[in-house]
Amino acid sequence: MQRTRQFVLLLSCLAAILPCSFGQAASSKGGNVLIRNAVVMTVTHGNIKNGSIYIKDGKIAAVGESVNTPVGTPVIDAGGKYVTPGIVDSHSHIALDDDVNEATSPITPHMMMKDAFDYQDKAIYRALAGGVTTSLLLHGSANMIGGQAIVIKHKYGLGRDEMLFPNAPRSIKFASGENPKRVYGSREQLPSTRMGNFAVQREALVQAQDYMKEWDAYNEKVKRGDKDASQPKHDLKLEALADVLRGKLMVQIHCYRADEFLTEMAMAREFGYKIRAFHHAVEAYKVADQLAANNVGIATWADWWGFKNEAWDAIPWNAVMSMRKGVKVAIKSDSEDYTRRLNQEAAKTMRYGGATEEEALKMITINPAWIVGVDDRVGSIDVGKDADIVIWEGYPLSSYGVPNKVLIDGDVYFDRSLPGLGMTHYREGQ
Amino acid sequence: MKDQVSAVRSRLSGKVTGRRSQVSGKYWSLVASLLGMTILMNAALLVAQDKAVVLKGGKLLTITHGVIENGVVVMQGGKITAVGAASSVSVPSGAQVVDTTGMTVYPGLIDSESQLGLTEISAEAMTNDLVEMSDEIMPHMHVAEAFHAESTLIPVARMNGITNAIVAPESGDTLPGQDSFIQLAGASATEMLMIRDVAMPLNFTGDERRNKGGFDKRKFPSTRMGLIAQLRQAFLDAQDYKGKLAEYERKKADAAHDKKPEPLAPKRDLKLEALLPYLDGKKPIVLAAEGPSDLETAANLANEFKLKFVLNHISHSQPVLDYVAGLKVPVIVGPIYEAPKDDERYDTVYRLPAQLYKRGVKIAFASYSAHNVRNLPDQAGFATAFGLPYDEALKAITINPAEIWGVADKLGSLDVGKMANVVVANGDPLDVKTDVKQVYIEGRAVPMTSRQTWLRDQYSK
Repeated sequence: MQRTRQFVLLLSCLAAILPCSFGQAASSKGGNVLIRNAVVMTVTHGNIKNGSIYIKDGKIAAVGESVNTPVGTPVIDAGGKYVTPGIVDSHSHIALDDDVNEATSPITPHMMMKDAFDYQDKAIYRALAGGVTTSLLLHGSANMIGGQAIVIKHKYGLGRDEMLFPNAPRSIKFASGENPKRVYGSREQLPSTRMGNFAVQREALVQAQDYMKEWDAYNEKVKRGDKDASQPKHDLKLEALADVLRGKLMVQIHCYRADEFLTEMAMAREFGYKIRAFHHAVEAYKVADQLAANNVGIATWADWWGFKNEAWDAIPWNAVMSMRKGVKVAIKSDSEDYTRRLNQEAAKTMRYGGATEEEALKMITINPAWIVGVDDRVGSIDVGKDADIVIWEGYPLSSYGVPNKVLIDGDVYFDRSLPGLGMTHYREGQ
Repeated sequence: MKDQVSAVRSRLSGKVTGRRSQVSGKYWSLVASLLGMTILMNAALLVAQDKAVVLKGGKLLTITHGVIENGVVVMQGGKITAVGAASSVSVPSGAQVVDTTGMTVYPGLIDSESQLGLTEISAEAMTNDLVEMSDEIMPHMHVAEAFHAESTLIPVARMNGITNAIVAPESGDTLPGQDSFIQLAGASATEMLMIRDVAMPLNFTGDERRNKGGFDKRKFPSTRMGLIAQLRQAFLDAQDYKGKLAEYERKKADAAHDKKPEPLAPKRDLKLEALLPYLDGKKPIVLAAEGPSDLETAANLANEFKLKFVLNHISHSQPVLDYVAGLKVPVIVGPIYEAPKDDERYDTVYRLPAQLYKRGVKIAFASYSAHNVRNLPDQAGFATAFGLPYDEALKAITINPAEIWGVADKLGSLDVGKMANVVVANGDPLDVKTDVKQVYIEGRAVPMTSRQTWLRDQYSK
């Protein structure tokens, strides 16, 4: 009995070591590698035929037709294949084991996605195999204010905290329209109408303003040396909303209808916060100039429509029509399925509205990276950025493009040519 | 702010009011008349078109006899009257010649399972007629009787080159009713329903166990055992019913011969009556199962009653593909986007079409959708990235489904004598980027407009 337990202990130690000893090691600094003989689609400065990318310590150190590398740098010969930055999915609900909605109150800004993050979910792997390297994991849309999101890198096989995007900006999910009114309306609670939705949201923001005032007054008293000042109560919920008003959280709003974009933007002005992006945003084409004027992006689908009333006016030209008016457009998945082939979804924008190859590619790389707030670190093949790279078989913006290898921070995490699951940092039963 | 909102609304006031209204029936006719789609369509089809239309100069994907560069297709009287190289086909005098130089020309695509005409807005119950869930055994449901010819979804699908489809009830029941085979153009349901009751789904995926759950709530059938027993009983009842009918006919003939009064006819049983053509092997059962065990159980039942069947889904049946091939029946693959099981490789389901093809199984793709029928060819293209030869992918949305559904004499290839359902596109039909420029159904150019193009144009002004 005693011996068995020791054996088990030994096994679990081994299991802990294995991920790092198998395949290409994920060093804490990131990988060193030269990718050569590739068509490099940089996203920001055109394509480089017969290009090379030198990756040092997990960052892109050089890109060009020829790059200098130290002797002994490992080489991946891309064999003339297309190479793009890793795909960024700016709207995902994977790896949350259905804990997406704390649908017990319409205002739950203090729900932290990190507390529900199921880093072992195979959906992370399946998205990785489709070329996704970064995802924004958002709350659902049952609540007007659902909670705070997390940004992950798809380093499947590593530990939970190793998969969190380091120092990514904080995002909070708002929602409007049918979902909150259906969830609470079906319980005969507020909100059951769009009027109710916005009243609930405004009420919460007013409370946050009062909360901030209380604390500001208290801090002022303390500063003046007033020993009788009584400390206000700490309130997690209002603290989170106060961070919205202080501009510390990026506001990501689930919103379908044109009129609601306008109402949400008016409310943001009323309370002095900025909206980063409207998600779904299927009617963006109707008010695109106003979204552009407010520098609000959209994360939308290529061609989903008709699944509910507020998606009835969704058209596949939405992305390009909005882009042409100056809106930053991302194509996102909102789906465990579609996140596996966002390249095809982006390619649809070339057909519906005539996006160029680069514009289409931007919608799944640098634009979603901007929405997530990490466009200075991922989303293009530029010197200094994280080496999140996809080597494709076939042309990526087509029905035929599938990832051959996916690198994150310079380490290979997925390799189609490998047997089994095709993963380098994961072992069965891990 | 307020002004902006009302400005948006006033631009589409009629439609917006209608859309928010609960009176869906009135709304749909409002949309239809606003768009003029149906009217246009009807008018186009009512005009007899005897003049030949010639598509000249395109790359022809004939499906049955290879690719013809710089080809010509002649369409007249609703049929294809000539196909070949420009050098070998003479253009009839007085024909309308359409220059298709630089275009790819191929037969209309066929979706082997859709819910077109049975739904408008998925979340709005009153716009859905997808499946009758009051009982698991509902063979007397006919989608033809719910099919909504004026559906907004049909022009959307048609514009992408899908000209024909199976319309099937959703898979909530083991026997949810009977499929129809439709043409995506016509003045009415009557015109669009090419074959009513063409086949009958039999679903055995585990999803039909709606009575499972807490022991306090269970009722029969709550397990796969119960579902199979119920199915077997239904087919046994149908056999008995058939026997009774035969006996009645015999007695009736005897009575007529003996000049005696007619015997009493057996009471009509709609459910059992609906099963008879399938029991007699006159029409195919579309047998859906996911994993090996369900597949074998359901196939055994089908064989027990000597049913003619095609397989459907089988997304997780990779371990028994040789068994599948041994059944010598076609397989409707997909959706190939179905997630693999957690212990399976990411491409396990993507590879299924190729694996079946390699075993000599005839395959056809299906969208299993209504709103996304237009994306049917993307799926076929994607399967080629996982080993399916390109020509086979193309066949799996043209000639293969035409053969499976018994319409290969009319559809599925560019061949003389077939219905002139022809698509002209600016490139490879299986690539997501390809734009369909014109669709012909029975030789007539269908309007390349939908509610979606109308919205696009409204906001592009």
